[in-house]
Amino acid sequence: MQGTLDLLILKTIALEPMHGWAIAQRIRQMSGDVLQVGQGALYPSLHKLEQNGWIRSEWATSENNRRAKYYTLTRAGRKAMEEEAAQWERLSAAISLIVRPV
Amino acid sequence: MGTVVGGNLVDCAASLKESFGMRWANVIRLRLRSLFSRNKVEEELDEELRYHLERQIEAGIAAGMTLEDARYTALQSIRDIEQRKEECRDMRRLNAIDNAAQDFRYAIRGLRKRPMFAVITVLIMALGIGANTAVFSVVNGVLLKPLAYRDPDRIVTLTSSWKGGAKVRRVSRPDFEDWHKQSTAFSAMAYYRSSDEPTIAGSSAEFVHVARVSPEFFQVLSIAPVLGRLLTVEDEKADDSGPVLISYSYWQSHFGGNTNVLGQTLRVGGGVQTVVGVLPPRFQFPDHSDVWRTADAVDRTLPRTSLSFLAIGRLKSNASLEQAQAQLTSIAARLAHQYPDSNKGRTVAATRMRDDMVANVRLTLYLLLGAVGLVLLIACANVATLLLTKATARTREIAIRAAVGAGQGRIIRQLITEGLLLALAAGGFGLMMAWFGSKALIALAPADVPRLSEAGINGRVLAFTFGISMLCSLLFGLAPALYASRVDLNEALKQGGARTVVGGGASRLRGAFVIAEIAFSVILLAGAGLLIKSFVALSNVTLGFRPEHLLLMKTSLPVNGPNADPRTRRFFKQLVSEVSSLPGVSAAGATMGPPGDVESAGSYWIDHLPERPSINGEDAVFSVVTPGTFAALDIPLKRGRHFEDGDSASAPFTVVINEALARKAFRGQDPIGRILFAGFDSDKPMKIIGIVGDVRQWGPAHKPDAEIYMPYDQHVSGAGTNLIVVVRTATAPEALINTLRRTVRELFPDVPLRFTTMEDSLHEEVAAPRFRTLLLGIFAGLSLCLAVTGVYGLTAYVVGQRSNEIGLRMAMGATPRQVLRLVLNHGIALAGIGMALGFLGSLAGTRLMRSMLFEVTPTDPLIYAAVALTLGTVVVCASYLPARRAAKLDPLLALRQE
Repeated sequence: MQGTLDLLILKTIALEPMHGWAIAQRIRQMSGDVLQVGQGALYPSLHKLEQNGWIRSEWATSENNRRAKYYTLTRAGRKAMEEEAAQWERLSAAISLIVRPV
Repeated sequence: MGTVVGGNLVDCAASLKESFGMRWANVIRLRLRSLFSRNKVEEELDEELRYHLERQIEAGIAAGMTLEDARYTALQSIRDIEQRKEECRDMRRLNAIDNAAQDFRYAIRGLRKRPMFAVITVLIMALGIGANTAVFSVVNGVLLKPLAYRDPDRIVTLTSSWKGGAKVRRVSRPDFEDWHKQSTAFSAMAYYRSSDEPTIAGSSAEFVHVARVSPEFFQVLSIAPVLGRLLTVEDEKADDSGPVLISYSYWQSHFGGNTNVLGQTLRVGGGVQTVVGVLPPRFQFPDHSDVWRTADAVDRTLPRTSLSFLAIGRLKSNASLEQAQAQLTSIAARLAHQYPDSNKGRTVAATRMRDDMVANVRLTLYLLLGAVGLVLLIACANVATLLLTKATARTREIAIRAAVGAGQGRIIRQLITEGLLLALAAGGFGLMMAWFGSKALIALAPADVPRLSEAGINGRVLAFTFGISMLCSLLFGLAPALYASRVDLNEALKQGGARTVVGGGASRLRGAFVIAEIAFSVILLAGAGLLIKSFVALSNVTLGFRPEHLLLMKTSLPVNGPNADPRTRRFFKQLVSEVSSLPGVSAAGATMGPPGDVESAGSYWIDHLPERPSINGEDAVFSVVTPGTFAALDIPLKRGRHFEDGDSASAPFTVVINEALARKAFRGQDPIGRILFAGFDSDKPMKIIGIVGDVRQWGPAHKPDAEIYMPYDQHVSGAGTNLIVVVRTATAPEALINTLRRTVRELFPDVPLRFTTMEDSLHEEVAAPRFRTLLLGIFAGLSLCLAVTGVYGLTAYVVGQRSNEIGLRMAMGATPRQVLRLVLNHGIALAGIGMALGFLGSLAGTRLMRSMLFEVTPTDPLIYAAVALTLGTVVVCASYLPARRAAKLDPLLALRQE
């Protein structure tokens, strides 16, 4: 789902600024290897979120001493994340209502 | 607790505000960066993805893979790296701009490869756009632009109108005074009249257009003098020696623009007047006036029955036109009740001044705009067919582009860009054409079109041109684009080039365009045909007099006072006799208003006057003439005699009537010797001494009215001192102008003279019909040419596409004749459908022209037959050429061409 990846990215970098590779790793770890973010989807998504003004990017030195592009959540991004999260809660609750065995 | 919550709220609001502003600043910065620092952004994108790849490889090695394996896995995971980059670029909205530029370059390259096609397309469209722009420039100047006064929409014209009857422009002064006093919707209200009056500034006498206005006139128009002051209520008392205002241009031409003009004198009419003010440049309302003065004593005593003035008012800022109209209507109803003899059934209409000014030309201009719009549609259809043909020929190219990954949207955008490019080029050329076209239109337009000087190319016209160019590009760019978007990849690539049986969709679309072209042409041709037929009818009208070799000389004796009448009488008698005896003059007379330009009409009574004369009796045209006038105009005498010198002021009063009046009032009885009264200048009984033939007094388009001719000697006070001398000449009338001027000036140095020929003044009468007939004719001709090219192009194309099939048919035994018929039938079928639709359209459209037609009905069968014949012939000819080519095909060659 399109919006879902956005939400995952926003949630992931809500804690601290991260670069793309780390975001993908974090999502994988946090979901217990269930969610594998395809790199093909990750970067366009990051660029879109940045164009929307929800995240901000800056070049910094990474943990292994190389230049990497770090993404930070903006205030607008935080707000959008909260809305999306609430939306997701509603949606998943609704789906589980239907899917749960009677 | 509460304070904490409050604090949070404030904090929240502040952060919201901040984040909103910051966010947009950020977004804009990013967009600009994407656009202008392209390379930097690209490098960063590369670097970011490279970093990702490296980390992925490291992770692989850490997990125990060999370097090779790790690299392979990482590359696998980031498959199609270029496509990913493209997606990232898409997300940054870079591609849209990039693609547009690319489409544009591609379109230019495509057009350069087919220069003939590009030139033809641009020319056709430029013609359409140019013609539309030219007509719009006139419509804009005349109809749309606000008047050049302050708050022009508050200025209204007040006119009399009869319940259920015609609108009479003029109003009576007592009525006006009542409206003025009783209505509260106006901040100012004024009446005025204007005419050419003999005027002497310095030494030379000439006719100058002089306006007589009531004091609030300039408040209504919100005009302030550039020098001196305006007219006041006090000024009205001075009458003939009252002060005058002059126009800026008159100030420049007659007083050298000198500021000492104030206090200098002019002689208008009989009196001597002082200049007290100069009005701003370009202000010459009404009718190119150069001098403004107060209404005279006679004006201010005219009765309610005399509708002699025009009236205007300025609405108060809180009053609407509807409120003003409602007030005036109820005042008029009270007046009708109070003065039934004069005002019964009379009411008043308030119209916005601009609407009123252009009321007569509005229909003509909208007709032209509609016609020229149809021409544009035809041009669009024509170009769309061309583009469509090209698009079909390019099916393979499009299919290949689609196959290598261009999305459908991308291909459509590409084709629309081409259309846009063509339309913009055409718009540019069209604008140049319009610049000349606009000037030509202004030169051709009848002189009485108001505000013509304001027509021209300006911002609004430019916007219009740009707008229609864009619209056109959509109209003719969309069809091929839609067609191309349906191209079936497999089919298109399988076909051996463009040569196949004609693809169904595109062919039908092309056919529809040709049908539309023919239908629109039918409408234009029918409209033009009707106008031409009525113009011919108008030109062939028997006027009742002979306009050839007739010179008109307007003159006037500027006198007043007790001796004015006998002096004027002597003046004109001597003038006419001098002119008659000039060599080259066969007859001369003088009249108050020559045919086509009569000035007076009113009631008449036979045998005796009614006890209470009202204005609701029978009407006739009043003409006052000197002996010799009938001979000069060549109006035939039917019975009795003409006026003679013996019909003088002291002799019993006599009249001559026309046949229309004899028929109407005497119904078979002999009118000669009977007594007639006219509501003109006296209630004396007048004996009918002659009957003359009917003359079209109101111009060629109007049927002759009943007319009463009175001898000048007996009606000097009513006819006034301005007469028009009519001179029948043996040779070209213009040749006599100088001789006449010299002769008259020798006798009377102080009289102004103005010359025209009867044919010129009749020319003006038919200027409006000629204008619209000419233009509609041109547009119809243009549309016919375009439609013919359309039909020819389509048939030629179809023959080319079907040459295979035709070859096959001929190989199977079809004769050239049969092939000819096959191709012709195709063209004729399209023309048939187009004409049927066109006729339906014209039946609806030409009804709107009813008021422009003269002795022709909008459904004139002859015109429609002529249109069908013309178009039919032309279509057959246009499809015959390609059809013959098809019939001459060598079947073997055609089949081998696979």
